[in-house]
Amino acid sequence: MTLTAANTAIVLDSTADFTEEARRFPNWRVVPLYVRFGDESYRDYVDLGPDQFYARLRIATATPTTSQPTPGDFLATYEGLAGHYDRIFSLHISARLSGTFESATSAGALLGGDRVRTIDTETASAAVAMLALAIQRRLDAGTTDDEVDALVARYKAGHGLLFTVDTLEFLQRGGRIGRARAMAGTLLNVKPILSIREGEVVPVKRVRGSQKALAEIVDELAEATQDTPTLRIGIAHAEAADRAAALEAMTRAERPQAQIEVVTSLGAVVGAHAGPGTVGFFWFDDA
Amino acid sequence: MTPDLDAVRGWVDASLASLEASRQRIDDLNVYPVPDGDTGTNLTLTVRSLRDSLSESEAEERVAIARDVTRGALMGARGNSGVILSQIVRGAAEALGEAERIDARTVASALRSASDAAYRAVRRPVEGTMLSVIRELAEEAESRSGAEVRDVLLSLVPRGEAAVARTPQQLDVLREAGVVDAGGAGLLELVRGLAAGATGEEIPEAPAALEAVGVDAIHQEQSLYRYCTVFLVEGESLDRDALEEELERLGDSLLVVGDATALKVHVHTDDPGKALSLGTAAGTIDRVEIANVHEQAQRREGRLLVALADRPRTGVVAVVVGDGNRRLFQSLGAAKIVEGGQTMNPSTADLLAAIESVDGDEVLLLPNNSNVILAAEQAAGLASKPVEVIAADSIPAGLAAMVPFDTERSAAENAAEMREAVEAVSTGEVTVASRDVEMNGVAIRKGAWLGLADGEAVAGGDDFDEVAGAVVERLLAGPRGVLTLLTGDEQPQLDALLERIAKRHPEVELDVQAGGQPHYPLLLSAE
Repeated sequence: MTLTAANTAIVLDSTADFTEEARRFPNWRVVPLYVRFGDESYRDYVDLGPDQFYARLRIATATPTTSQPTPGDFLATYEGLAGHYDRIFSLHISARLSGTFESATSAGALLGGDRVRTIDTETASAAVAMLALAIQRRLDAGTTDDEVDALVARYKAGHGLLFTVDTLEFLQRGGRIGRARAMAGTLLNVKPILSIREGEVVPVKRVRGSQKALAEIVDELAEATQDTPTLRIGIAHAEAADRAAALEAMTRAERPQAQIEVVTSLGAVVGAHAGPGTVGFFWFDDA
Repeated sequence: MTPDLDAVRGWVDASLASLEASRQRIDDLNVYPVPDGDTGTNLTLTVRSLRDSLSESEAEERVAIARDVTRGALMGARGNSGVILSQIVRGAAEALGEAERIDARTVASALRSASDAAYRAVRRPVEGTMLSVIRELAEEAESRSGAEVRDVLLSLVPRGEAAVARTPQQLDVLREAGVVDAGGAGLLELVRGLAAGATGEEIPEAPAALEAVGVDAIHQEQSLYRYCTVFLVEGESLDRDALEEELERLGDSLLVVGDATALKVHVHTDDPGKALSLGTAAGTIDRVEIANVHEQAQRREGRLLVALADRPRTGVVAVVVGDGNRRLFQSLGAAKIVEGGQTMNPSTADLLAAIESVDGDEVLLLPNNSNVILAAEQAAGLASKPVEVIAADSIPAGLAAMVPFDTERSAAENAAEMREAVEAVSTGEVTVASRDVEMNGVAIRKGAWLGLADGEAVAGGDDFDEVAGAVVERLLAGPRGVLTLLTGDEQPQLDALLERIAKRHPEVELDVQAGGQPHYPLLLSAE
């Protein structure tokens, strides 16, 4: 079967931090995760946008918690798409970081048949959206399941993801990084550079100061990639627009031919686990 | 409507009531896998969803009822614990849906099916959680397959209690926090309610002892407030909610638990006196404990560093003087600190003993003083394990070396990056001239301030700010991102200096730390 944007839908969850689906892609849907402050529960991006979230975080007395969409949330989305699309690719944040993929898979099983294909992307944030964009480019040209499978495999092995946080406190509190690692360097102004490998957050390096952190990220990009027009880059930040802009400028200088295809805020769910000040950087050479 | 569906609804209602009664207690227990205190809430929301979907069900056949039960739990599954619970429900419902009649054997196979489904739902099953509790329940039922159904159900409660009580022995993070597993405790409450509902027996509630609340678990949160304040309020008709509301305004990490005659209060606040007077206004207070949270957190960090950095490959021994500096090195992961510096050089034997005491296969040794480097090299040659000496000749150089340190890499791999860091950093110091010196044509009297940059005297005189400022200018002559200042034990006044640096070098991030070293009011580095 030839898969096209007319017969194939893409479902993301809100941790992909992608907000342009409604405007750009009629075959895309985003299913929100939940953020909870005390007894109040909000749908990520739907009820609580990034700006509102960070404003709320500043005054909150209790730590916000997050939870995955229910299988019912996914099922409703799949059912809504099933009338119009023969195939649904449902792309989700690493199953080691969230139960979202499990919820989606349960819902896919409830729907029955083989219409829905859930994919554990083993990555997070804009990196998930960038994989979806790469699949969409294939759909626009007409593609097959095998081609998409090959693309996903190549993306998992070949895409780059680095991020730096102001403090490891949020990752540690959310249980998303080993504690001993999280403790290290909390007294000095040490900026950890982290990645996600095999679906888990791992420390890559520690440097002093946020300028050095950005320089280090661009160094890694330079080492891992060539300057070509097929190189795609994404930047996401949590209340660090100035640093994201600095990183964008540094990237343009280092890789002038590359396309910066996503620049976005980290939403409430990813933001709750990474914390304000986080800057994420993603790349993929879609040659 | 069928009696079967009604019966199932009754079981769910009874389970939910029992869980709801313990919801807050279970939230408070929650430290694993993530200490975010919402396990009770997630389980409750999941079971409520199950109840709501059953209220709409019109299923008559057992298989259809089982399908609706499965779907209801799955659709509303909230959080990790909710998803695992939905699998437990699914496993049990599928087995029961296929059974001709419910007897002890069916109950056992339903619990086994529930346990298997739960284990399958989790990528890496961990004991000491809901999983071990459901497995033990299945084992209990299997051991009673000849008994009456009601006896089997009633036997599940004590077995579940025992399984929950054992969870801290199975999972370190629970033991450390002094709590039982929240998910397991929630499952037990569901079973308690189910057993009571299905047998019509009254089953005593779990001993809701004040001690059951994991006060330590609360301490895992970062607190903005300084004092952990715990006390008991005794009286008649105490108003828990009112007291909680008033305490809420004083701080965070608040817990108020108990009944109308005794309430246990736990709060982090900057004003423990105020908290206590709220207590005395409500009743009489007893067993008051006030602790400095920040110190607790630091001690805890230290313990965790040792406890959880599982068998490090490479450990660091650093020669350090000054309490603050010691803490900085520890926070960056140094395993062993040897006291010493300018005027008290540790011996080769001291260093060797430290190297041998490090729990790691390989060692990195940071002398942090030019007078210690030789002894360090000697100790490295004598040691029974591979040792790399990083020739940092000052505390700030040593700190720069620690930044890239990674305990999971070999000493040699670390050494390459750490030496690079030492090369890249410029260091400076401000001290008191111990004798009259002549420098750049300027005579510096004994007792005046003397500023050095990378080992070279660059300024001298009576004005501390001027001397320190000259050192800073020298260090920031090239492009630099971070300037670190470590203040000495006499804590110099830095306001004017810092203001000046911020004005002249707005692009540089300043990091001022109390180092506590003697003889050097200021140690500096630029990276």
